[in-house]
Amino acid sequence: MIPAGAHPVTVHQAGLLQCRVCGRLTRPPAAYDPGLKLRCPRCSAAIRLQQGGNSIQITWALLVASAILYIPANLMPVMSVYMLGKGEPSTIIGGVVHLLKGGQWPLALIVFVASIVVPLLKLFALTLILVTIHRRSMWRTRERALLYRVTELVGRWSMVDVFVIAILSGLVRFGGMARIEANIGAFFFAVVVVLTMLSARTLDEHLLWEAHEARAEEEEA
Amino acid sequence: MRDPIACLECGQLYGYRTLSAGETATCVRCGAVLYQGRRGMVERALALTATGLLLFGLTNAFPMLALRAQGSAVEMRLFDASIAFWREGFPAVAVLLFLSTIAFPLLELAALLVVLLTLRLDLPRSGAIVLYRVLREIRPWSMLEVFMLGVLVSVVKLGDLATLSLGVAFWTFCALIVTLTAIRAVLDPLTIWRRLGREPAT
Repeated sequence: MIPAGAHPVTVHQAGLLQCRVCGRLTRPPAAYDPGLKLRCPRCSAAIRLQQGGNSIQITWALLVASAILYIPANLMPVMSVYMLGKGEPSTIIGGVVHLLKGGQWPLALIVFVASIVVPLLKLFALTLILVTIHRRSMWRTRERALLYRVTELVGRWSMVDVFVIAILSGLVRFGGMARIEANIGAFFFAVVVVLTMLSARTLDEHLLWEAHEARAEEEEA
Repeated sequence: MRDPIACLECGQLYGYRTLSAGETATCVRCGAVLYQGRRGMVERALALTATGLLLFGLTNAFPMLALRAQGSAVEMRLFDASIAFWREGFPAVAVLLFLSTIAFPLLELAALLVVLLTLRLDLPRSGAIVLYRVLREIRPWSMLEVFMLGVLVSVVKLGDLATLSLGVAFWTFCALIVTLTAIRAVLDPLTIWRRLGREPAT
């Protein structure tokens, strides 16, 4: 931990701009010109003058789309196992149940967490964060920031089922004897993972703290 | 406040100071890591990145898994797995898997090599700055560790079905995952940015 100086302030309160790519601080131009494109002096990425921008709307849109697609992703079969010509389609949950019946519960647990718990957690966590930003909540902001960080970090692990289907369908190709085929559910599932990852990424996490500060200033006044 | 920096996640301001090796500065407000003290970071990361590229090449050159059933055998390389969805009629998923298991990991390692060499040899920075920005964008989409878990799940699933053998690439792939994890542990983004901007850094 480093000393925060005499009186800790934020970028916002100090009237500075922060590059969201490399973190470098700059002073905003004296005269505001909407046509002006600001570039970070260190990494030359574009710096936004208006904090947040439309990140909330894009996050909502992606989140709603992934929540809708989450339904076919779980109801439709993700792959079919053909043994001697007879096909047996299975869903994501079906795959977990199959592993459990085979006595492979550690593996069943991993797949259950990665494929079912993580996508649901992401949908709920992002909804909670968006709603609390809207309400300018001061409730457990530090914990919500942590929840956001975890959501962003674990999202990619949901892809594990898609990888398993790719490996199985790529390996089990013995014609009429034994064959594993990928089904449409896997496509929806991959789309859900991508959309939730994009949704988490487009959300500007500073908004959590700006909403918190706005409410704090309001209550002081 | 001398040499001000701000938390990338919440915007809290701090004064930058050099940390000793192994020390970590955390944001008091949101708990995010600000930066870490690293000695010989560039040299260590450079060695690991070169190792990673070599292991990545080997992993792609050899079969990872092979399945035998009644006389016939199917071999699978990393590339075969990445494009398996193409044959199944889902080209979009195949493209996603190709990007996340081959293109992005390769780009990540190659970009990192250029950035680290630029710092080590003190070359002009402009190319490295663009590459490091690209690298930060693609990192979440580079999913070799997730693929590793997928391989392990598949191995267990197939275990009772047929005779499965692990190829050379399976072992180089395990080593690659360890190397990638080590690279991520060694690198400190703020230190890299400050050195790219020729500012004093640990």
